[in-house]
Amino acid sequence: MNARILMNPKPMTLRPTDTVAVAANQILKHHLRHLPVVDEQGRYLGTFSIYSLLKLTLPKAVLDKYGLDKVSFVTENLGDLAERFAGRCEEPVKNWVNIHEVAGPDTSAMDIMLLMLHGRTASVPVVDKTSKQLEGMISFWDVLEKLMAEKV
Amino acid sequence: MHGSEAGTASLLFGLNPMWAAAILFLITYVVIMSEKINRAIVSLLAAGLMIVLGILNQEAAIQGIDFNTIGLLIGMMVIVAITRQSGVFQFMAIWSAKKVNARPWGILVMISLVTAVTSAFLDNVTTVLLVVPVTLLITEELKVDPYPYLFAMIFSSNIGGTATLIGDPPNIMIGSATGLTFNDFVHHLAPLIVVIMAMVLIPIYLIWGRRLRATPEARERVMRFNEREAITDYRLLKYCLSVIALVITGFVFAKALDLEAATVAMTGAALLLLLANLGRDAEHQSEHVLDSFKEVEWITIFFFVGLFIVVHGVDSTGLLRLLAEKMVNMTGGNLTATTMVILWASAVLSAIVDNIPFVATMIPLIKAMAPTFGGEQGLLPLWLALSLGACLGGNGTLIGASANLVVAGFAERAGQPIRFFRYTLLAFPIMLLSIAIGMGYLYWRYL
Repeated sequence: MNARILMNPKPMTLRPTDTVAVAANQILKHHLRHLPVVDEQGRYLGTFSIYSLLKLTLPKAVLDKYGLDKVSFVTENLGDLAERFAGRCEEPVKNWVNIHEVAGPDTSAMDIMLLMLHGRTASVPVVDKTSKQLEGMISFWDVLEKLMAEKV
Repeated sequence: MHGSEAGTASLLFGLNPMWAAAILFLITYVVIMSEKINRAIVSLLAAGLMIVLGILNQEAAIQGIDFNTIGLLIGMMVIVAITRQSGVFQFMAIWSAKKVNARPWGILVMISLVTAVTSAFLDNVTTVLLVVPVTLLITEELKVDPYPYLFAMIFSSNIGGTATLIGDPPNIMIGSATGLTFNDFVHHLAPLIVVIMAMVLIPIYLIWGRRLRATPEARERVMRFNEREAITDYRLLKYCLSVIALVITGFVFAKALDLEAATVAMTGAALLLLLANLGRDAEHQSEHVLDSFKEVEWITIFFFVGLFIVVHGVDSTGLLRLLAEKMVNMTGGNLTATTMVILWASAVLSAIVDNIPFVATMIPLIKAMAPTFGGEQGLLPLWLALSLGACLGGNGTLIGASANLVVAGFAERAGQPIRFFRYTLLAFPIMLLSIAIGMGYLYWRYL
């Protein structure tokens, strides 16, 4: 069993110029965690996720890898956070995408499960190596569904 | 030639030792400057070649390593590795920002002072690693441009580091090689550093400071920061502050107690390791001790080890003595002229190249000038010129000191990059201003 069989070939996608607000609405409405971002030719550019939303709500200074170990001295309330979130809502999603590790259409089921486990992610984009086209998305639910449907 | 006293082994290929050492030394410098190969690898490889080529034997090479510098660096790095976990540096930054009611210019001055004072006692890189994140957070909450703050922090870390024996590696090396003590550095350099710090803030005020504005709401957000929450562990904090106080006392009385700086720092590190690990079982102790050791900058340490051997190799062939004679002849044996040449040359060079190999080379060179200037005591203005030039020169460009690059790294990741050219355009003249002040001071007090 490989990626082609496991994946959803018609996932919901974003354009790099779509705003954060559009992405946030999609995520909330469909309870998604990851939205792949593709250009006009359908090439995969990265993933906008719930983690992108968390990131853009926080001060940049607390996200730096050599940054603050502890931020409990910052007494930001929900209003402060909402203000920052609102301030970034009109930014294009391309400012906040993450490049995830991707699978190819022929990647094995086991490799995909390892990608999910080690990357602590519930969905893996399937991208053609040469054309960079997004072929589909595999979510953990797709995998579980196929697993439980197998006759053993 | 001179120099066979350092234990020269038989030389390969019958090369003249002075030429062989000079060529190896030049290649080492060029490769270090190209930054294509990690500097620790370059210096260790060159040190190995010094021995393999027969310029030094192993025993002589080891004698060339200044273990006082190495011990002092490692000891302080371990103390800092433990202390940083207590959150005390974030505490100081926030506390000082609130003391000025979160006014943007006031914060810039306070953060600069915190950076300068901390750098005077700790490694500059560590200082900016600890203070930059809080500064970026504060400027983000204030919605002001972080650039002037980061610019001022680079300057204050290098300026503050110049004030004491332990503030900056060039001073550690100079102190170790000459016997100048912690108190000597404070006595000779600290008053000047206070003046330079104040003078450097003037252009920063004129260029940016007077236009910095923040809304009352934004300032209120910073005023709501609770600095006490930044302290992660009060027990650890108490241990750290006590050990640091003890170590500084040790530096102050080192001469009276007949102790070297490395002994004070390493013993302090061991004591703090003991206190921080009280009540942990053996397995956890190993884990925590290993974590503290991991934070020692081993690249810097091994870079020093290799470099000391390389410079010792060159020195043992008599080449540096020859260069010293040439330099003294050039300045006509005049102390004032020699001091000025060393001050300005080391400032400009340190802005462009790593000041550590430069200082390591200059130390034996200056020592060789002792007969011309009436013995070891007569060299004091030259040592001060070297320290001022090498430490302050680092401000001149973005690659002048490692702390500059660390600040630039934070700025880059925060999406506010510090561009090399834009930085140099302002920083280089301000650096020259600080050197000019230093020149006046040396002339007035020592020449």
